[in-house]
Amino acid sequence: MAVLSFESVTVTAHMKAANVELLRDISFALEKGEVIGLVGESGAGKSMIGRVISGLLPDNFSVSSGEVKFEGLNLLTLSKAARRDLLGRRIAFIPQEPLSALNPVRAIGDQFQEHLKHLGIAKEAIRPLMIERLQQVGLANAEEILLRYPHELSGGQCQRVLIAMAFSGEPALVVADEPTTALDVVTQAQIMRLIAAQQAQHGTAVLFITHDLRLAANVCKSVGVMYAGDMVEYGPAAAVLQSPSHPYTKSLLAAIPRMTGERRMLPTLSEQMPGVKTFATLAGCRFAQRCPAKDPSCVSATLQRRFVEEGHWTRCGDACGGFEFASGEPLLIETMGINEREAPAVEFKNVRLQYKARRGFLGLRKSSFDAVRSASFAVRPGEILGIVGESGSGKSSIGRLIVGLEQSTEGTIRIAGEERGAHGNTLHLTRRDTQLIFQDPQSALNPRRSVLQLLTQGLEVGPNGLSTPQRQAAADNILQDIGLPADCLSRFPSQLSGGQRQRVNIGRALCLEPKLVVADEIVSGLDVSVQAHILNCLLELNRQKNLTMVFISHDLAVVRYLCSRILMMYRGEIVEEGETEEVFAKPKHPYTKLLMESVPPETKGGGWLGSSAG
Amino acid sequence: MSAEERSFAAEAWHQSIRSPKTVVGALIVGAMIILAIFAPQIAPNDPANQDLANMLLPPMWAQGGISDYPFGTDSLGRCILSQMIYGARVALMVGFLAAIGAMLFGTTLALIAGYFGGWVDRLIGYFVDLWMSLPPVVLSLTLMVGFGTGIGNVILSIVLVDWTRFCRVVRSEVLVVRRKDFVSAAQLLGFSHTRIILREILPSVAPLVITLFSLQVGIGVIVEAILSFVGLSVPADVPAWGMMIASARSYMYQAPWGILLPILAMFVTVLGFNLLGEGLRVTLDPRFRRRTS
Repeated sequence: MAVLSFESVTVTAHMKAANVELLRDISFALEKGEVIGLVGESGAGKSMIGRVISGLLPDNFSVSSGEVKFEGLNLLTLSKAARRDLLGRRIAFIPQEPLSALNPVRAIGDQFQEHLKHLGIAKEAIRPLMIERLQQVGLANAEEILLRYPHELSGGQCQRVLIAMAFSGEPALVVADEPTTALDVVTQAQIMRLIAAQQAQHGTAVLFITHDLRLAANVCKSVGVMYAGDMVEYGPAAAVLQSPSHPYTKSLLAAIPRMTGERRMLPTLSEQMPGVKTFATLAGCRFAQRCPAKDPSCVSATLQRRFVEEGHWTRCGDACGGFEFASGEPLLIETMGINEREAPAVEFKNVRLQYKARRGFLGLRKSSFDAVRSASFAVRPGEILGIVGESGSGKSSIGRLIVGLEQSTEGTIRIAGEERGAHGNTLHLTRRDTQLIFQDPQSALNPRRSVLQLLTQGLEVGPNGLSTPQRQAAADNILQDIGLPADCLSRFPSQLSGGQRQRVNIGRALCLEPKLVVADEIVSGLDVSVQAHILNCLLELNRQKNLTMVFISHDLAVVRYLCSRILMMYRGEIVEEGETEEVFAKPKHPYTKLLMESVPPETKGGGWLGSSAG
Repeated sequence: MSAEERSFAAEAWHQSIRSPKTVVGALIVGAMIILAIFAPQIAPNDPANQDLANMLLPPMWAQGGISDYPFGTDSLGRCILSQMIYGARVALMVGFLAAIGAMLFGTTLALIAGYFGGWVDRLIGYFVDLWMSLPPVVLSLTLMVGFGTGIGNVILSIVLVDWTRFCRVVRSEVLVVRRKDFVSAAQLLGFSHTRIILREILPSVAPLVITLFSLQVGIGVIVEAILSFVGLSVPADVPAWGMMIASARSYMYQAPWGILLPILAMFVTVLGFNLLGEGLRVTLDPRFRRRTS
């Protein structure tokens, strides 16, 4: 008997205008001790499945047909009390944001023991059990951890505590909803190994929800791919990863930049996943409007499962079966137009950046911290330089130093051969030649400005000031460069999709025609298909406008796709520097090696989960 | 304009008219403003006119009341209703002008402190802390005694007491907005500090300022009543609610209606401004607004 089974479950949202099916005909079964992955981009409905299991659907949502069975019990007909009794004891959850899942004003031990009390564990047994469980998840100083408060621990440590709590009741099922999304890639690998070890030790079934198909495929036995409320493909992880059948799965895999092999232009799909409001208007396959292999029957016929082989099915017509993405044109460093003769676009010599803080009474106690210790490097005109590092490694500080948002404590910074004045007298000039694209468009775009006003913000006043019609013309040009439709101009940021917002964010930095642009983690919050669009947009700007770029990211694959050279940062220092291919082929610094090992590989079977001690 | 392309102000207006708090608050405030402006046309009698033959008359519907004085008369035979209507003039004038003054002073300092940070922020912060450690009632009474009576001085003393509220609350919001990347982006585009403060930061904190302003008017009305109650506000021949309460207090047992009407007027006015402020807080704050996707 399966631990958990979904049998043609449909979830309907009762909205003002119409009833919308948010999940359609979802079926899968999770056997004892098995790990299944649900993969999809944001809005695909994957988290909704977790909510069906926990019974925490929003008020106007309901399961309109189908059955959800947990160890033979029908979860949907169970009384609320009986269902609540299952949660925590038989069904446990590992949340996405470890820090917000723990109560900030209570010590870890306090919260853990309350959980164990709820599970009915005898009072004397609680403390030894807590220590044993925390040690099992790799927290050696368990005694001390129990006394700590959540903010005193790192995100990875908090997630370990939550994993220990989730497995402590020997549940039959653990639902992990994006448990590593908030963590960096090295911690992600550690946490995934930990979940796998715990899962194996306790024989627990795990439902793993994620947006990362490669990660899911490397961790799970089977994988289901979600798109706009449909499960479009389901099968053994290796089969889905290596020989995907549904065009959407193919596009998802094709959109991830590769860590090995030849670099080629990423193929992209038109538009984006439809929003919930438009679900009702989509007949037949919801992917059809974007599908490169659609035929007329896709939009008229109801969805049918088509078995590719035993245990591997896709919800797609026969026509799609043979479709493959054409491989993109190769990306060569030579096409970058790197100019070796001119002075470097940016040159750092022994630059140090120290942050000072004042604390205590009247701010008398001072403390300081070196965000950048001693950085020396140069960016050649026309190239894209990648800066890689984990959060807090000082990579964003370098970006802010380049554009002049921070002043160096020591050392010299030259922009296009000219030294930046220590007291900021040449600041305004260098600022216009160098622009920063901020990570989070939500924060970087003033919500009270329209897209037109945002794109031409730099042309409003000063020596670059233009009249309103001239600004309109300038905005039209920028729109073309960043690939946005003209009807966007009158909209406000809240009315744009995430990808469109990021394009506006890029466009605003381009309006003063800077020679150098610093892009700070600009694709990290985006789904892979949107990420591919943005990356290609950056490539085009570099190739066609000869724009020099400093691309800051924690994602090695993305950096490899864009950059000619890489700087690796670790704790405020540049630990490795070199041509991209060279660094990837022969990483020298241990941190670089660790980072590379932590990225889930492109093929399953290498034993990524067990490749190093977790 | 289609529903999707509504501007920010239009969107706020659209939200406001659907919030009962805002609508009721605005109606009350609107009615009070009309009463104050058109007092000579609306009031049945001259509020200063003493009808010594008809002192301490009850309301018209009670026994002994007459229709010339719908809410009766006070101990000098003056029409209570007319005094109440004229009293709205002083109350609202003080309320609005004091709130404008406190808003301008407090918000300006808050913008400077929050934007520039560092020692500027600390200096202004310490000054606000110091100022707030003085008890407000004692401070305003002392100021009034120092300045002398008169409506201008009432306004000045309220501004001097209450600007700290604006400064503290708005500063914390400025700090939040200041850290947003769009402020750094504006710096990178070469905008001057003044322009960044006025064009990027002020619009973001404006909803909060408007909300505080509305609440501050209500507070101003109360403070004016307190000061006129102790005779430190307007001259004795100008009707004010606090003064009405003070003079009706001695006859509270014989003529309770004399004290009820000004209290009621004050209560309704303050309620109106509080409802409006509370409603605006929700409707103007983008965080409470529905996402238009």
